[in-house]
Amino acid sequence: MSAESWLWMLAGELRRQGLDPGQVATVVTDARNHLRDSAEDPYQTFGAPERYALAVAESLAGPASRGRPLGPVRLEARGISKRYGRRHVLRDVNLTVRSGQIAAIVGANGSGKTTLLRICAGLLSPDAGTVTVQGRISYSPQEGGTMPFLLPDEHFILVGAGEGLPRDRAKASGRAWAQTLGWDDVGATPARLLSGGTRQKLNLVLSTLAGADLLLLDEPYQGFDRGAYVNLWEQLWRLRDEGAAIVVVTHLLNQLDQVDHVLDLTEVAGG
Amino acid sequence: MTGRRLFTVAEMTLRELLRRRAVIGLLLLLPLAFYLIRRDEYVGQSVRSLFLGIGWAVSTAALFSTIGARSIEPRLRMAGYRPYELYLGRLGGLWTLGVLLAAPFLLLVRLDVAGLNYGAVALAMLCVLVVAAPFGMLIASLLPREMEGTLLLLTAVALQMIIDPATTIAKATPFWSSREIGTYAVDHMSSDYLVRGLMHGAVVTMLLLALVATVSSVRLRRRTHLRRA
Repeated sequence: MSAESWLWMLAGELRRQGLDPGQVATVVTDARNHLRDSAEDPYQTFGAPERYALAVAESLAGPASRGRPLGPVRLEARGISKRYGRRHVLRDVNLTVRSGQIAAIVGANGSGKTTLLRICAGLLSPDAGTVTVQGRISYSPQEGGTMPFLLPDEHFILVGAGEGLPRDRAKASGRAWAQTLGWDDVGATPARLLSGGTRQKLNLVLSTLAGADLLLLDEPYQGFDRGAYVNLWEQLWRLRDEGAAIVVVTHLLNQLDQVDHVLDLTEVAGG
Repeated sequence: MTGRRLFTVAEMTLRELLRRRAVIGLLLLLPLAFYLIRRDEYVGQSVRSLFLGIGWAVSTAALFSTIGARSIEPRLRMAGYRPYELYLGRLGGLWTLGVLLAAPFLLLVRLDVAGLNYGAVALAMLCVLVVAAPFGMLIASLLPREMEGTLLLLTAVALQMIIDPATTIAKATPFWSSREIGTYAVDHMSSDYLVRGLMHGAVVTMLLLALVATVSSVRLRRRTHLRRA
């Protein structure tokens, strides 16, 4: 099926979900832009149109934290610039996220979303600028971050040991987090044999194993089905309400009503 | 805390490797082929080739293990591990794997060849695997792509095989020590060979470890732009 056929079906499903014409146009345009930039298959990126439309409708109906008192600043990035060769990927970017906030970093492919997140995590040095963080940081990469031949429980033990968790507690904590994402049967399957979505859940669970004050997530829902996608946002809202500061790199612009702060790197680059 | 972290990294490194059964089979096949290829001609050379085969097998395992861990190490660093806990833990796992790989070959030599100094044979095997693990880790740290790393390893081992061990430049090759100890074990030469081999093995291991430590510490360093409030 071509991307245009998929988008046409998506528009129909979105109308069926009760979205107004303006919202439908925005979601379809965002998806079209993303598919054009990435040249990805729409089914692999977004799943079936009816499922994606349902997820969009549910995320638009989710809770927002506006009006609630905010906590201390957990992340303050100031004047971040980065270039690869002659190409400026980031130019004087600023981002402040407080406890109890979710911030979304959006932008076209190649706009520097992942680069900024890696700089905030301290995994990559910027050419200019500083990042100040408070509390325990956790980072979930877009891909990788697991060992192909280790079992999920072994991942929990390995990461948990770094965070000072005893083995049993690390396993219990990992399994409990997995359940909140709808992953009930952690089982004895090595990471390499997990489906893409389940591997991404493992990736996410490892980020939240011992709790984090600042959670940095790079497109955390890749390969998720609709149920897992909804579970993820419910967990992120819960963590936010418990005081975590969360930064999510996303290309699903329809989620933006459900976050507290949006940093559009396309605008930054254009401006 | 550090002890538990070191043990956990070593354990998971070993588990990861032992779960790759085909790889383990090939890692055993490599020294066996080295041993058998000249078995009918001159058994002493065959045993020395076996040491080199073990070194190559352990170096290769170290290379791929280190490259495979690159994507998870930043996460482990953020989880609280220090760089030295990561590379020393990995080294522990690789040395354990090396002992497990070498043990059946020690038994093979014991049963197949008479009149050797078997304690020295064991020592040569230990020496070669102790050197091989940080050697493979260092190559992986410097050349993090598998093909480049494998080619460099191939070059190093091929050089080791064809170079005249009596030349000065041979002493700069990583597994020269096992050849010296092997000569002591097989040809019953003077203990000078044993002492030279052990000294060389110790120096090369320390040097490789220092380089691995430096490269790993730089790669996994805390970046200066990141400040704690």
